[in-house]
Amino acid sequence: MRGPSTGIVYGGLKYQARCITDVKADVDHTSFLAGTLSLKEENEVHLIRLSPSGSELICDGLFYHPNEIWDLKSCPFDPRIFSTVFTSGETYGASVWKIPELYGQSNAPQPEQLVSLDEHSFKIKSNMLVSVLWWPSGKHDRLISIDEGNIFLWSLDSSNKVAKVISQESVGMLQNLSGGAWDPHDRNALAGICDSSLQFWDLRTMKKTTSIEQAHIRDVDYNPKKQHFLVTAEDVSGIQLWDLRRPKFPVKELPGHAHWTWAVRHNPEYEDLILSAGTDSTINLWSIRLPGNEGSSSESLFDSPTTLKDSLINSYTDYEDSVYGLAWSTREPLIFASLSYDGRVIVESVKSFIKRK
Amino acid sequence: MAEGVPPMDEKAKRTRDLLASFYSPDASAALGVGGGAGVSPRRIASPDSINSPFFDPEVYMSILVQKLNMEGLLQKHVEMAAEIKNLDTDLQMLVYENYNKFINATETIKSVLNTSILVTGRMKNNIVGMETNMEQLLVKITSVQSKSDLVNTSLFEKREHIEKLHRTRNLLRKVQLIYDLPTRLAKCIKVEAYADAVRYFIGAKPIFEAYGDSSFQDCKRASEEAIDLVIKNLQAKIYLDSEPIEARAEAVVLLKQLNFPVELVPVNVRVIGSDTVVGLVMQHQNQTGEVHRNLDEIDEVKVDNLKTKLLEKLEDYLLKFQDEYKETGVSACNATESSDIGQLPDTVSVGDISKIIRAYLIIFPDSEKRLIELVQKLFNRRYGIIQQRIKERVTPADLLNMMRAIWEDVNVMDEILAEAALPAFSLEAARSIVQQYISTSFSYLLDEITDALGKSQQTQKEVVEECPYQNTLEGSKKTIIQGSLDLLLDFRQLLDDNLELLAKLTDLIVDWVQEGFQGFFEKLNEQFLVLCGRGYIANPDSCQVDAVQMDKVQAGLVLVLAQLSVFIEQSAIPTITEEIAASFSGGGTRAYEHGPPFVPGEICRIFHSAGERFLLLYINMRTQKISVLLKKRFITPNWMKHKEPREVHMFVDLLLQELEAVGMEVKQILPQGLVRRHRHSDSLGSTTSSRSNPTREDKLTRTNTQRARSQFLESHLAKLFEQKMEIFTKVQHTQESVLSTIIKFCLKSLQEFVRLQTFNRSGFQQIHLDAEYLKNTLKEFVDDEAAIDFLLKEVVGAAHERCLDPIPLEAPILDRLISIKLSKSKEQSQTSP
Repeated sequence: MRGPSTGIVYGGLKYQARCITDVKADVDHTSFLAGTLSLKEENEVHLIRLSPSGSELICDGLFYHPNEIWDLKSCPFDPRIFSTVFTSGETYGASVWKIPELYGQSNAPQPEQLVSLDEHSFKIKSNMLVSVLWWPSGKHDRLISIDEGNIFLWSLDSSNKVAKVISQESVGMLQNLSGGAWDPHDRNALAGICDSSLQFWDLRTMKKTTSIEQAHIRDVDYNPKKQHFLVTAEDVSGIQLWDLRRPKFPVKELPGHAHWTWAVRHNPEYEDLILSAGTDSTINLWSIRLPGNEGSSSESLFDSPTTLKDSLINSYTDYEDSVYGLAWSTREPLIFASLSYDGRVIVESVKSFIKRK
Repeated sequence: MAEGVPPMDEKAKRTRDLLASFYSPDASAALGVGGGAGVSPRRIASPDSINSPFFDPEVYMSILVQKLNMEGLLQKHVEMAAEIKNLDTDLQMLVYENYNKFINATETIKSVLNTSILVTGRMKNNIVGMETNMEQLLVKITSVQSKSDLVNTSLFEKREHIEKLHRTRNLLRKVQLIYDLPTRLAKCIKVEAYADAVRYFIGAKPIFEAYGDSSFQDCKRASEEAIDLVIKNLQAKIYLDSEPIEARAEAVVLLKQLNFPVELVPVNVRVIGSDTVVGLVMQHQNQTGEVHRNLDEIDEVKVDNLKTKLLEKLEDYLLKFQDEYKETGVSACNATESSDIGQLPDTVSVGDISKIIRAYLIIFPDSEKRLIELVQKLFNRRYGIIQQRIKERVTPADLLNMMRAIWEDVNVMDEILAEAALPAFSLEAARSIVQQYISTSFSYLLDEITDALGKSQQTQKEVVEECPYQNTLEGSKKTIIQGSLDLLLDFRQLLDDNLELLAKLTDLIVDWVQEGFQGFFEKLNEQFLVLCGRGYIANPDSCQVDAVQMDKVQAGLVLVLAQLSVFIEQSAIPTITEEIAASFSGGGTRAYEHGPPFVPGEICRIFHSAGERFLLLYINMRTQKISVLLKKRFITPNWMKHKEPREVHMFVDLLLQELEAVGMEVKQILPQGLVRRHRHSDSLGSTTSSRSNPTREDKLTRTNTQRARSQFLESHLAKLFEQKMEIFTKVQHTQESVLSTIIKFCLKSLQEFVRLQTFNRSGFQQIHLDAEYLKNTLKEFVDDEAAIDFLLKEVVGAAHERCLDPIPLEAPILDRLISIKLSKSKEQSQTSP
């Protein structure tokens, strides 16, 4: 299972880091954004680009960020826009940033802050902002920010640098939100991770629609190819695949990681591929077969002999610390970037595990 | 000149032609033909052609004279003279020949004529003789005829007389018989030969019907009286229970022959059945009577009625017998006197039934089909009863007894009703019974094991036993191994028994037993999954219940299951495999393409993975619980405004409590591992190289600004040299391995929780204090100090990284706080027990 290390390492991050994201809107390059998490130093956002030969990772831009970055998302329709969630000490903030024109100079001191998304959410100090979500499937002028107790739907006008809260919903006193995902098939559906369940909201009414009762969820990701399917990562139970039309029981369970499974991501192109990152300093590549997929061409996609019995295709163990950041490249769907806590970005290709078509 | 000298063959030809023309009957035609042919020669050569029919001697002569000289003429003359001479001789010859022929012919005709005259003369003589003979014959025949007529007429009278005499004699004999009938009947009655009596009476019946009112009045009366007596006697006989059933049946037949009225049917039935049935019978007869009233138009309705009713009664009787059998069977079962089960109904009823059936066969030979149905139904029910019985737990001896009893009955019945094919039928039934028996035995064993496991859950709630899980585990182990071996013994008993019925099934039984074990262990595995709340993987239909159950499942039980799986894999399966190989080898009536029915390797594999799974599940359940504890600990306080640490935080106590509980469970169930400090040397090396204390202390004394950057680089550097710490190793089924795995998991979780927070100086100090305390106490649980030290250092390191102002507690304060806490906990542990 443990293949030789083939990853390209980027050691440019000087501090610990948790967040890496694929720059989806960049059609010319395979690039990622990574943000550091340093309590005391000036944090950075790195624009990392995979060289055309695919053998090197180049820093294409380095921007100072005032606070440590807990969440980083790239705008799906503009490669120069990204959002961050950050803290400094006790205060939390979320902003949408614009990478300035570089004019040949690679280091810009600071990205332009387009909008701050914190006008409502930080009146109560204890509310820790957890995530900012862009609608993943294309241009949409809405943004979602999630803090511990609330969901905000923002209307973003990036040219005028204005963001307004359209609607807001509180989860209730007993629940704490810790993350979420926006359904790529339905711009009105949102999944939010609560303490003991995964809750779903309809953004038009801001009402809960359904829920998956499952505790200790760390991450959730919608299947980009198949509606109603999503995957969750839990502390202990590993990875579970769900069909929202049958939310009582998981469609499939994967063992996950030796310790917590921190992040889980569907491949943007191959719906059978799932990547998970864990606090056991490994990244696991899984092949899943969703019901209704049997017999289709995807069945024979993988040539690993163990896929029938065990859906773990490969385990990447070349990490020194817990891996929190994980992102597939949209441009080259067989490439993913991972970020371990010690600040190392490793880009790996899963091509060798896919049958030549 | 050339024509004048014709060749010799031409000469012969000419002669023949001439002769032909001479004899020809139609000279003109011959001439015509010859003339037709010689038209042109006449014109051309007629003057000198001698042979031509139009030959003109004058012309010829003149031509000759003109043409030839003297010498030539002379020569011609000579030629001609010779020719004429030749012709003459030819002619003479011909005439002579013909004459000869004519003479011959005439002579022949003459002789023929003579012969014919002779013949006719002789014939005439013969015919004349015959005519006289014929006349003589006619005369003789007429005389014979007349004489025979004479004889005929003379004999006719005598013959008539003889015939008359013969008739008279017959009549007289009959009359004699009828006159003798009463005495004969009386004689028959005396010797109880009722059958003869009835036969005689029936023979005489037509005469009585014809002349009963006149000549034979007395006789008729006397014989009727006698036959009444017969009837009475027959009835009495039927009533007599002491009479053998065949005799009774015979009596019934005789009564039927005497047109005994239908009203007697209930009597019959009552005779055949037992007295207790009467009420039922009467009631039933009314019902059947209604049914059969429809059949009244049909001929022999009485007989049919009788028959069907009798059969109905027989059926009733059989039913009754069934009930009795069932009762006796059940009672015998309750009394657990296995000997009674077969014998009681056997002696009382089956003999009876066989007799009854025999009687019925005599009475109604055509009712066989119906009887076969009845008998089959009977045995069907009896097998049904066995099937009912084996739904409960039955010892193989009981089963064998029951089977044997039925088999004996089957043999009895088979003698009477061979057509019912009862042995084959029984074989089929026995097959299904044995199969069912085997499968129920297995399901009982499964239930027992489930009970043994489930009991612990309940008893534990009620009474706190010393070591409940240990008892459960031992109990279940015993149940599994002992139950399996007992089952094997039981089945062995089935095989060893020499019952003919089962002997035929030996191979099948072997197969079933093997299959049974295979299925049993597979089901057991599923059952385990259900017990630990993971059953919905196996059956998604009932998952809702199971999912609910999952919260209630005790972690200890999961651990018991894990250990039980290991036990099954390592000792139960080999034992059972040996046992099966010893006594249940062979079989294989089934096609071998599916492989042998019992595959120990497969079962071992299943339970091996199950064991690992349960162990992981147990660890997961335990760590999850601790995880919740830790999560609460880290989410609740505001770490940025944490106060100076005054004591070790109480979550440490909770954590230790949990670990103690785990230790308790683990000690009960799992074996002690080998005391070896696995990975100790590895991890020791790694920890010292990664974050040894001197480095840390150095680092802490540096100025704040430098610190963060240098620390980060340092840890980077350290990690470069670090041999990666393998925290997550494969779990073994030992106390130490499980416990240390759980502790490692918790410490790792602790680290992750710390990383999610931001601390002020006091917060960091608190974490530091807690970690230091844990370092001392956790060593009591596990001897893998290195791993714990490493992980705790990671925790402190994480807190350090997440702290804005990471200044550790001064060592004396730290020590003091820890020692206070230690003594406090010691006091507690002393006072509490």
